[in-house]
Amino acid sequence: MLTFVGLGLYDERSVTIAGREAIAAADRVVAEFYTSKLVGTTIETLESYHDTEIERLDRQAVERGPESILQAAATSDVAFLTAGDTMISTTHVDLRLRATARSIQTRVIHGTTAQAAASSLTGLQNYRFGKATTLPFPYAHGGDDVPQSVTETITANQDRGLHTLVFLDIKADREEYMRASTASELLATVLDDETVAVAVCRAGSPEPTVAADRLGALADRSFGEPLHLLVVPGSLHHMEADALTTLAACPAELVEPSH
Amino acid sequence: MGRRKKIVQECERLMDEPEHIRNIAIAAHIDHGKTTLTDNLLAGAGMISEDLAGEQLAMDTEEDEQERGITIDAANVSMTHEWEDTNHLINLIDTPGHVDFGGDVTRAMRAVDGALVVVDAVEGTMPQTETVVRQALREGVKPALFINKVDRLINELQEGPQEMQQRLQGVIQDVNELIRGMAEEKYEEEGWRVSVEDGTVAFGSALYNWAVSLPSMQATGIDFGDIIEYNRSGEDGIRELKEQSPLSDVVLDMVAEHFPNPLDAQPERIPTVWRGDADSDIANQMQAVDEDGEVVFMVTDIGMDPHAGEIASGRVFSGTLERGQDLYVSGTAGTNRIQSVGIFMGGEREEVERVPAGNIACVTGLRDSIAGSTVTSVEMTPFESIEHISEPVITKSVEAQHMDDLPKLIETLRQVSKEDPTIKIEINEDTGEHLISGQGELHLEVITQRIERNQGIPVTTGEPIVVFREFPRDASDVVEGISPNRHNRFYISVQPLSEELIELLKMGDASNDMPELERREALMEAGMDKDTALNVEHIHGANILIDDTKGIQHLNETMELVIEGLGEALDDGPLAAEPVEGALIRLHDAKLHEDAIHRGPAQVIPAVREAAHNALIDGRIALLEPIQNVRIDVPNEHMGAASGELQGRRGRVDDMYQEGDLMVVEGIAPVDEMIGFASDIRSATEGRASWNTENAGFQVMADNLQTETIMEIRERKGMKTELPVTVDYF
Repeated sequence: MLTFVGLGLYDERSVTIAGREAIAAADRVVAEFYTSKLVGTTIETLESYHDTEIERLDRQAVERGPESILQAAATSDVAFLTAGDTMISTTHVDLRLRATARSIQTRVIHGTTAQAAASSLTGLQNYRFGKATTLPFPYAHGGDDVPQSVTETITANQDRGLHTLVFLDIKADREEYMRASTASELLATVLDDETVAVAVCRAGSPEPTVAADRLGALADRSFGEPLHLLVVPGSLHHMEADALTTLAACPAELVEPSH
Repeated sequence: MGRRKKIVQECERLMDEPEHIRNIAIAAHIDHGKTTLTDNLLAGAGMISEDLAGEQLAMDTEEDEQERGITIDAANVSMTHEWEDTNHLINLIDTPGHVDFGGDVTRAMRAVDGALVVVDAVEGTMPQTETVVRQALREGVKPALFINKVDRLINELQEGPQEMQQRLQGVIQDVNELIRGMAEEKYEEEGWRVSVEDGTVAFGSALYNWAVSLPSMQATGIDFGDIIEYNRSGEDGIRELKEQSPLSDVVLDMVAEHFPNPLDAQPERIPTVWRGDADSDIANQMQAVDEDGEVVFMVTDIGMDPHAGEIASGRVFSGTLERGQDLYVSGTAGTNRIQSVGIFMGGEREEVERVPAGNIACVTGLRDSIAGSTVTSVEMTPFESIEHISEPVITKSVEAQHMDDLPKLIETLRQVSKEDPTIKIEINEDTGEHLISGQGELHLEVITQRIERNQGIPVTTGEPIVVFREFPRDASDVVEGISPNRHNRFYISVQPLSEELIELLKMGDASNDMPELERREALMEAGMDKDTALNVEHIHGANILIDDTKGIQHLNETMELVIEGLGEALDDGPLAAEPVEGALIRLHDAKLHEDAIHRGPAQVIPAVREAAHNALIDGRIALLEPIQNVRIDVPNEHMGAASGELQGRRGRVDDMYQEGDLMVVEGIAPVDEMIGFASDIRSATEGRASWNTENAGFQVMADNLQTETIMEIRERKGMKTELPVTVDYF
């Protein structure tokens, strides 16, 4: 049995009870933190919290050599952990497909994910989000400072009045996490810098920060420790406009509810 | 005022009269007497003492050149010569004849308008004569011919007037064949055919300092009978001949009369050597040799002066070089300030106030320039990268003996590659074992000796290693490459490029920085079909990537990574991590993840690299090794031993024939086997053989040697000593 367990957003306590029970029942526990990371905890704390050993896997081990995980899962219970949810934004469906192809039983135990936080902390309705995108560090992809596909995704959503969730690049092995201010600065080079965006920082922690303003203004602010994400709102429902002014301190002149 | 000072002043005056300037190079096979000729021309112009000429080898300034008796770096001299009652300024670039130093020859050709081809009357045109004449013609440089060592026909071979003329006609005919082959239009219509009647051929002896041409014979009344007479009547006769018909007058008259001055040459040569906008102001200024225009200075050579530092020499095509100018150096950011301006007089540099358009100049202060740089007062399209047909074929490791010398060695190696762009340097700061690649064993030996002697850095060098290539012999099937996260897929096939296309790419005649239309035309002319040429995405070495996909979303921003992955696959081929050449790679299709982060470098590069390697293997990729043309001149009794030396080296003897009293053995052999040839042939023939080699490209190594050689290379490189299982065809 291969159980995919999402650990949630922030620290060792963000996991669900079902997730904790699955980890406790597993014969072997493996985790990857290269796609995301629980910034509020360490692997040692996780281990003592769950009272089990956790093997940390690098990208190479998951993508190139999942053989040992699959072999173990064929004869015993293996728990595969990631931050957030194991299947949202992290592409691990591949591992599940490989397991299924070998007739290994699999199940998914969800964790809360940035996608959920983007909606629930900002008050922007999940019904009104378009395609999501990731803003990579400029050195980490071939092309311009902001990949054309990122700009296209945002503007196509805007054209349809939809919000865009912009994930910010994480290079866990280099301890580099893109900040909302950096992202705003980058986006301001390809979008109108009057464009309004919402920074969502440390979602899942006791003190998350949510701030809405013009890209130009967000670029000049400091939002503290990672992880951050950015939402570029489309047209605003009046409840959404209220939520941004009330919950995200959005300057009033920037929100005009369209319906 | 000293004589030399007067000449410098006269040169300075003439620099402003482009119609009286000739910029020329002397090009010849090794030992055909080029340096002796240069020295006697200098002596004739009063630059060095006549007694010393021929002994002094004024142009051979490096110690090792005088030791070896051959010329290594192209050096420049200026001299004056009176023709038709008018003084002319002749700027002469000496070029090395040894083919290991072929890069210098090509660079020199770009700076001059006329090439004096020197051929030994006894030996006739040689492989390297052909190489240098081709290099000259490719750069649009007009040839004239000096047949040297005519005295040997008389004294050694005892030939009469009839035989002599026949032999000389033979040489002229060979040279003309070459010219017609490379520049047919100019040969037929613009008088580039060399002929006695036109006065574009002269004969003589550089060593004994005499020469004749048809115009000189008409003026002096000396005919071939007289020449034979003079030569046979001992020293007095030769002295008489030298006084009657001195070498420098005859040859320099020919130079002044038949080579174009910059005003005539530049309008025609600029379009040949420069690819910028032909209607721009700067193009007009260059064509007009406008000394008041923007400065355009093309660096053909970098030398080192122990006091002044780096000296850049080259041709001023427009504007006037002066001290204190801030000039742009192509390929680098910012400007360099000129510290001093000068001309070369023999081995010495003379500082002058200014050097205007049309001249050869040497300057200090251009720290960022390398041989081949374009140096200008406004930013402009640089001259195309200087073409050079030879690529490195041999590599040697260089290590400093003392750790303290490490930084100095790295700096020196960088310097060396600046001075001679045919040298490739790979610096490895981790191991301290740096690699230096060049044109041949001698080339590398000379470079390492210079490091040791000039810089005083004791070094340890490794055994010379031949540079291999990997080449797909067949077309492959379409191969799928999957990214590690399995969300991206690339569909790639390869096929071998034709020889014409490989040649085109190696010559840089189709490159990434060319305008697309021009590149397409060049590729189609070399035989690429139109549909393929329309889809050219990238050129990597002598390989081309064709993008046959249509309208795949996000591919445009992924293409740079595809190119990067392909570059890795091609730099380190699948067999032995040697560079791949001659592959046409087609990208047929790609399936990409929606989000940029899931199709980043860590995903795309390995997927493309693996697909390219598998396609290359499916295309039966094989190792290529560099080969050389070999010619051995040897007395009859040693011929068996000499041809045995060649055959014993996996060589092939193509031809054996008598020439004079010697036998000539011609053939080819792999460069790898030719390492150490010098001492082996010497002992096999009791030192009686003379020989020379010329790099002749790469060829597929015999199947039965492939596996063994691949394993040797893999072991040397610390790779796994087993082939990918899919390589099942050896």
